[in-house]
Amino acid sequence: MAQMIADTLRQVGMNFVDALRVFLPRGVITISIVVAGWLIATIVRLFVRRILRWVRFNLACERAGIAALLKSAELPPAEALAASTAFWLVLVGFLLSGVDVLGFATIQGLVSALAGFIPRLLVSIAIVVVGFFAANLAWRATLLAAVNARLPSPRLLGGAVRSLILILAGAMALEQVAVARTIVLTAFAISFGAVMLGLAIAFGIGGGGIARRILEHQFPEREQSGADDLPHL
Amino acid sequence: MSALDPLWYKDAVFYQLSVKTFCDSTGDGVGDFRGLTGKLDYLRGLGVDCLWLLPTFPSPFRDDGYDIADYYNIHPMYGTLQDFREFLAAAHERGLRVITELVVNHTSDQHAWFKEARSSRDNPRRNWYVWSDSDDRYAGARIIFLDTERSNWAWDPESKAYYWHRFFSHQPDLNYDNPAVREEIWNVMRFWLDLGVDGFRVDAVPYLIEREGTSCENLPETHDVLKFLRGRLDSHYSGKVLLAEANQWPEDVRPYFGDGDEFQMAFHFPLMPRMFMALRLEDRKPIVEIVERTPAIPDSCQWGIFLRNHDELTLEMVTETERDYMYEEYARDPVARLNLGIRRRLAPLLESDRRRIELMNGMLMSLPGAPIVYYGDEIGMGDNIYLGDRNGVRTPMQWNGGWNAGFSSADPERLVQPLISNPLYGYQAINVESQERTEHSLLNWMRRLITVRRSSRVFSRGTTTFLQPANHRVLAFLRSLDREQVLVVCNLSSTAQAAELDLRQLAGALPIEMFGKSLFPRIGGASYVLTLGPYDFYWFKLRRI
Amino acid sequence: MAEDSLLPDELLHHLMAVGQVDVLVGIPTLNNAGTIADVVRAVHRAFSRYFPRDRTVLVNSDGGSTDDTPAIVRDASVEEADTLTVSHRLRTTHRISTPYHGVPGKGSALRQILAAADLTQARAVAVLDPEVTSVTPEWIAALIGPVRADQYDFVMPIYNRHPLEAMLVTQIVRPLLGAIYGWRVREPLAAEFGGSGRFVTWSLEQDVWGSELARYGIDVWITGAALSGGFRCCQAPLGPRVQTSTHTPGFQDVFQQVVGSAFACVETQAGYWVTRQTAEPLPIVGPSRGEASRPAMVDGSRLTDAFRADIRALRAVLGTILSDDTMAALDRLSSSAGPLDFPDDLWGTIVYAFLLAYHRAVMRRDHITQALAPLYLGRTGAFLLRHADADPPAVEAALESLCSRFEQLKPALVEHWNQPGQR
Repeated sequence: MAQMIADTLRQVGMNFVDALRVFLPRGVITISIVVAGWLIATIVRLFVRRILRWVRFNLACERAGIAALLKSAELPPAEALAASTAFWLVLVGFLLSGVDVLGFATIQGLVSALAGFIPRLLVSIAIVVVGFFAANLAWRATLLAAVNARLPSPRLLGGAVRSLILILAGAMALEQVAVARTIVLTAFAISFGAVMLGLAIAFGIGGGGIARRILEHQFPEREQSGADDLPHL
Repeated sequence: MSALDPLWYKDAVFYQLSVKTFCDSTGDGVGDFRGLTGKLDYLRGLGVDCLWLLPTFPSPFRDDGYDIADYYNIHPMYGTLQDFREFLAAAHERGLRVITELVVNHTSDQHAWFKEARSSRDNPRRNWYVWSDSDDRYAGARIIFLDTERSNWAWDPESKAYYWHRFFSHQPDLNYDNPAVREEIWNVMRFWLDLGVDGFRVDAVPYLIEREGTSCENLPETHDVLKFLRGRLDSHYSGKVLLAEANQWPEDVRPYFGDGDEFQMAFHFPLMPRMFMALRLEDRKPIVEIVERTPAIPDSCQWGIFLRNHDELTLEMVTETERDYMYEEYARDPVARLNLGIRRRLAPLLESDRRRIELMNGMLMSLPGAPIVYYGDEIGMGDNIYLGDRNGVRTPMQWNGGWNAGFSSADPERLVQPLISNPLYGYQAINVESQERTEHSLLNWMRRLITVRRSSRVFSRGTTTFLQPANHRVLAFLRSLDREQVLVVCNLSSTAQAAELDLRQLAGALPIEMFGKSLFPRIGGASYVLTLGPYDFYWFKLRRI
Repeated sequence: MAEDSLLPDELLHHLMAVGQVDVLVGIPTLNNAGTIADVVRAVHRAFSRYFPRDRTVLVNSDGGSTDDTPAIVRDASVEEADTLTVSHRLRTTHRISTPYHGVPGKGSALRQILAAADLTQARAVAVLDPEVTSVTPEWIAALIGPVRADQYDFVMPIYNRHPLEAMLVTQIVRPLLGAIYGWRVREPLAAEFGGSGRFVTWSLEQDVWGSELARYGIDVWITGAALSGGFRCCQAPLGPRVQTSTHTPGFQDVFQQVVGSAFACVETQAGYWVTRQTAEPLPIVGPSRGEASRPAMVDGSRLTDAFRADIRALRAVLGTILSDDTMAALDRLSSSAGPLDFPDDLWGTIVYAFLLAYHRAVMRRDHITQALAPLYLGRTGAFLLRHADADPPAVEAALESLCSRFEQLKPALVEHWNQPGQR
């Protein structure tokens, strides 16, 4: 009996050693990949930060209102956030590659799925960012045009335009990552009519004068302030 | 010019000279007729046709001979009547005509007529002059010699009355309301015409008649006097010319031509300062305006045009703005200014700039009218503004660089006027003999100019049509007579200029430059472009071949 | 010298004929048939009366009029006496009308006029507004005279206006530019000016002509350029200014163009004014002319009522431009009861803050000027309410006080100008 146990133990030990012998090189490679990935990700983070500083990304985000949003969410500044994002994307990429080397089938499947998801996630994030810019620009343009044209409820108009553009951007982003597709599509269809109005007002960004004149002509509800009666020059 | 052509004066080039300062043959320091006779070949060689002599009558010379004491004689310092006759004959032999001065408006207060008139109120000649017990009559008349006279009336202590004088106070005006005066003046004219003179330059014609409430200038009655004299002239003589000195606007001079029954010629005074003005402004406007404003005159009549003469360059017939401009540009030294004019010769006015002198003479010889050259200007003589009155432009002729410039053998201190002797205009530098030795001297150039002018009657008798190139610095005009046409183009600017001339009406004509006979490109349907150097001018005969 | 592309062949042709000139008067036009003939006649009378000896030319630079404006310019008769009189001109007067090439707008027209002046070596140039029917020969004499006498390089006009006119000038442009450039100028936006040949040549060499500033703000740029370019500047009283416009842009367009141009101008010429610490009056040359009539009054309360609502609506935008303190003051102002009392201090601070925001481009620049418009209307309404019954000297004193306030606030602007991000 004792001999059987000893033999079994010996066999298990030998199997374990064999398994370890097979796993260890892979483990070392995985660790190497991860370490290399960490180094590369750090370099990328520095690089991205340099580039974003050079193109004044922080300033642009400040103008777009993203900086304020991040601040209120107690997130780091946009530049740091973008650099960190780049860092983690690179590192995750290397991590997944490293894990893939280990050869665990289940994990390999997960890695494949993740590898397919990340580009769509990136596009989705980009859509949201662009949407923020556009929404903010449209909001401000609409607000200013409405105030100066003496339209009723300028804040409401501006807010509505911003909201609609954000909703549009959000819907497009969610659609990219294939989350709640049906719900998103339905909700978007309902909101589409309102988006058309927002686009019409957003047209004022490029043709503010024309838009204003159209609005002035179409919505002469609010009492004129008399600005045009004054001899300004 | 035919000796028999009664209209010879229309084509003539006149030469004005003072016998006193032209040439002295006796060594007394004063020019005389014999000396002048000796220079007739020079004058013939210059190419002029008619000599106009400043007054040579007996005179106290308080107005350089324009104050006449005897209408029927020659002042002894110029010689005798016989000398005059001989001079006339010699001039006529050379084809030169001679006109003399006829000062009809006034006499010297030393004239026998005035001496008689002032002797008593009952004297028969009393009414030969204009008298008044007060000096407030004819208040509308302006004073002409502003620098010296304060009134047109002068008090005569002898006859205890005022007498009328439009010029110096020692020059009492004759009374042309008196028929006897008119007859006597006609007698004076006859005297000299019988001697052989070819006409008269009649001094101060606008002022013959006075009427209360008027300016006493250009009055209708004046023309009655003139028609009377002209009528007598025509009925007794042929081919004689009367040249009016009437310093007026062209439209006011026009009546002095009458219907061809008053003066044959009259000076165009307003043109002269405008030529100088145009040159300085570098703008043709003053010339074009005054010529276009000049009224047509009878076919038998002619304007007399000139650059300078024995008087100051008169600025009476210009606006105040123009006068101020002329003073500032041409007479910065106030000593040069006299009686609303500038007492300088041509060359000093143009700073002895040969190009400008040529241009001005080129315009003189091509603008409508008979040109009159003032003695000495053909060699670029200078002046002396520090001599009194207008004597600065009446200095002795500079014949050579030797003793007294060849004018006289007298002691220099005895000369009737001092010579110009500065290094720039002095007789050593500017004289006839030097310039005759130099092919391209001003004198020889003037000879060529006059020769070319005489080559075509279009200059003397043609119509004038101004072209209006956009470049205002270019004066361009067309002279036309029958089928003959001459295009004159002048650059009034000190810098090179281009001018585009609208010559479409002349399309097909071939311009031939008249001095060198060079061919220029045929005139086509497009603008004719000409480039001219500073102060350059062209005379183009337009041929159709 | 001028670029060749500015000058069509026809204009070059004319300039060759004109040659050198002493005085050039330029008039930019676009469909001004109703008023241009009077302006042309005034110019010619000025030439005859005040510059009879000078070589002169009138240059009309036209933007493609469809109402025969160029033909009217060329053919407008100028009566001259039949007989030669004291005022008769000595010289030929040239008159040129030519279309300009380039970006449509006054800048291109002005550039062509200045190029013509440069090529003709004009000693003095005056530019006039074709819509001003009150122009007289004395205007041209006043603009040209000081330059022609070689005493000044640039002459700005002074109009006889009631101080409650031209609010955009009196409330923003004059105090702003006066404080910033350190020269107190009455009419920094004037369409008329006089300039020397030296100024003309220098102006043509500047880098402004292809920009938006040249299109809409060339008047203010010219003023700023003259003040900052080391030129001898002065002002000349012209008299009342009566303008007849065929096309009057709306307030928003005017405000955008004027304020945007003023800000842009200040920005491009910062190198000059940042170090300028004093503010001096510009000399005035010539007698004052005529009297100004009281303008038709606008009810200021309409403007101030709208102001309160506008502040609330624009709070989010204004917060990006104005400091917290200024925002708070504005909030207190907009929530105050009774007639709006808009202090000079606050107004100056606001204008400078907007200028800074414009400089830093904290948002689109046209949004910045749009955001200022309601504040300007509120300020204008408050000023009108306060001075509706005041006599002109009292109003002038208030405007002087405003200018002084701007001058006092300038150091703070300078301090922040080159520091990014701080408000």
